[in-house]
Amino acid sequence: MIHLDGVTKRYGDTVAVDDLTLDVAEGEVCVLIGPSGCGKTTTLRMINRLITPTSGRIMINGQDASELKAEELRRSLGYAIQSVGLFPHLDVAANIAVVPRLLGWDKPRLRGRARELLELVGLEPEQYMGKYPRQLSGGEAQRIGVARALAADPPVLLMDEPFGAVDPLNRGRLQGEFARIQRDLHKTVVFVTHDIDEAIRLADRIAIMRDGRLVQYDTPETILDNPVDHFVRDFVGSDRALKRLVRVPVRDVMDTAPPVARRSAGAKEMLAEVGRTRFVYLVDEQGRLTGWLDRAQLKGGCTVEDALSDADPAQVAVRPDASLKEALSRMLGLGFRSIAVVESDGRLVGQVTLGSVEGAMTESDEHQGARPAEHMAEYSAEDTSDDSVLESIASDDQGDCT
Amino acid sequence: MLTRSPDRVALTGAVLALVSALMLPAGTLRPNRLAQGDPHSWLAAGAILAVPMLALLLAVFASFLCSRSLRGHVLSSAGVLLIGGIALSLGALSESLMVDAPSIARVSIGSGTWLMLAGAAIVAFSGWQALMGKESASQGTHVRMVYPLATAAFLFAAVAFGGLDTISLAAEYGIRTAVFWPSVIAHLRLAGVSLVLGLAMGVPLGIIAARDARIRRVALGVTGIIQTIPSLAMLGLLIAPLAALSAAYPVLRQLGIRGIGETPAMIALTLYALLPIVRNTYVGLAEVDPAVVDAGRGMGMSRGQLLWRVEMPLALPLVLEGVRAGAVLLVGITAVTALVGARNLGSFIFEGLGQAAPDLILLGALPIIVLAIVADVGLSFIADAVTPKGVRAA
Repeated sequence: MIHLDGVTKRYGDTVAVDDLTLDVAEGEVCVLIGPSGCGKTTTLRMINRLITPTSGRIMINGQDASELKAEELRRSLGYAIQSVGLFPHLDVAANIAVVPRLLGWDKPRLRGRARELLELVGLEPEQYMGKYPRQLSGGEAQRIGVARALAADPPVLLMDEPFGAVDPLNRGRLQGEFARIQRDLHKTVVFVTHDIDEAIRLADRIAIMRDGRLVQYDTPETILDNPVDHFVRDFVGSDRALKRLVRVPVRDVMDTAPPVARRSAGAKEMLAEVGRTRFVYLVDEQGRLTGWLDRAQLKGGCTVEDALSDADPAQVAVRPDASLKEALSRMLGLGFRSIAVVESDGRLVGQVTLGSVEGAMTESDEHQGARPAEHMAEYSAEDTSDDSVLESIASDDQGDCT
Repeated sequence: MLTRSPDRVALTGAVLALVSALMLPAGTLRPNRLAQGDPHSWLAAGAILAVPMLALLLAVFASFLCSRSLRGHVLSSAGVLLIGGIALSLGALSESLMVDAPSIARVSIGSGTWLMLAGAAIVAFSGWQALMGKESASQGTHVRMVYPLATAAFLFAAVAFGGLDTISLAAEYGIRTAVFWPSVIAHLRLAGVSLVLGLAMGVPLGIIAARDARIRRVALGVTGIIQTIPSLAMLGLLIAPLAALSAAYPVLRQLGIRGIGETPAMIALTLYALLPIVRNTYVGLAEVDPAVVDAGRGMGMSRGQLLWRVEMPLALPLVLEGVRAGAVLLVGITAVTALVGARNLGSFIFEGLGQAAPDLILLGALPIIVLAIVADVGLSFIADAVTPKGVRAA
């Protein structure tokens, strides 16, 4: 789909990009990564001709990019950048519709498209259409930046650290949503980042660059398992086993039948359930996670009401889109041996245990190069036995409620 | 008890008004329009002024006890009432002085009156400012507009019914009614046309300056130097070349291009309008977030689309601020161009200076001040109205 052939960019005596040849297949996410100054952003900006190559050829969908009119070329390539660059004087709907308007779409179609895209990036259309950029949080602005890039349904997306300006929690969430969107849309994506976790999580292929040259261009699995040299090995880091977990979405390994009781059902049912499994999640009438009850905390004559803990899903749960690494680090951070999985509306849909994380790590070691996700599905199906019982590590120390 | 800090500005205005009422003359009765005359104090003006004066003082002190928005209304009302009271009292004073005087005699406005008006205006303005404050912004423009309208109504009443039409300024106007309004229109036209010409040249120049550093240095440098040339010198400099041109090419003379008159005036004024417009256009464009420009280009906007759909709308508030500054400047400098034969309000000033007739000077100067204020307020209002909602200050 995108083919770079011997592309070089020189500024005076300095070579920003040096004889780069790279193929991005249709529907694939190619992540360009490397230390700052390695030429990754220059490469991206040469694709939509914001920068003119000194030499070499860039073919997009079989056509030489330099033969197209620059503006028309750019309208056919979605573009999202770290600083987002929403137009402050236009509301969200108009911001999303910039490219379709340039393409001459009519008004109702523009509004409809903006609505559609807001839903796609997980923002309530009625609430956001009329807002202005200055009224948005960083995460919301970046979501709208992505929606704007997708507006005219371009086959290719160019993204320059599109999630770089938000806090790590939000970045993880945006990555999850991007992965979900990409699963449905199958765009050809060139994605620049300096965050190796982000690259491993999102890429079909990672292009590691250094001093304007391509050092290694491979699938994340290959790069983790067979780095071509010391530079790549150091760049990827020593925790490669852990990094593999970044590739695995929680959805693929979660136990979809966690022990659960309705809060409204009363103490008796909750006790019955906790007697069987030592631990239950508590949900409300709509199935939303509200807390949990741990048998360890029932010691010392506590009532059920004293022993149950209230939960803020944002703190003690992960989304199905989250990576297994995120789930693991949450568990470790909270001192839990399992963590609840909730949808964006708070509904409890499963749980991830330390055991299933362990399993995922061994599985991917055994099946190097294969898509871990497929194996995880089998694994999690077997693993709904007793060791999926959640024990709060912390709660062992506080056995009574005096 | 004074629980809130007093408004120092309002207090200053009130004290100024009070002191000038007691110490300085309200008006001067002169045997004719040029001769010196006898000052008359406010004490002679009778009780009409006492009421608003007392109300004002009470209001200023009471306002220290009020909440911010209420204080704004109290002070604004007091200032407006005082202005009205002064106008009516001055009319009454003038009428009473003229009763025994020959018809050639004139009553000029005294320094005490001017300073009282200034004091009252300060009080009203401090109240107005308090109303513009954040807490009361929700009340909108409508409530605040009551005060300038009330002031205008008071002044009109004082002229129509309060005897203000007997003062010297009104007499000067009466003599020159036939030329006064055409002069106002000529003044506005000259300043307006020059401003539009300045805009037509300044905005493109500002846009080019934002694109090209070399042109920027030249454009800002030259317009800056123009600004330092005194207006009289500028007009003088233009006379010789324009006269030579029109002598050499009769067709230019037929078009009305001559060394004196409106042509040099318009050229000079247009040049003066350039600096604020060029500079603000350039700054407005330079301040557009580079990320916004990059996003626009990356999405496939052409240079023109980027400029007119993104950069100019974002720069517009600053451009209009430049237009406002230019307009106020031109209204003032236009008066000077009367010296090279462009008939306008400035003509009254120079005639008055020539005849040593202070009230004739006022007949030119006061409308110029009013025009400048109207231009200032009007263009700020327009600037607010066209500022895109998304970039307006919260």
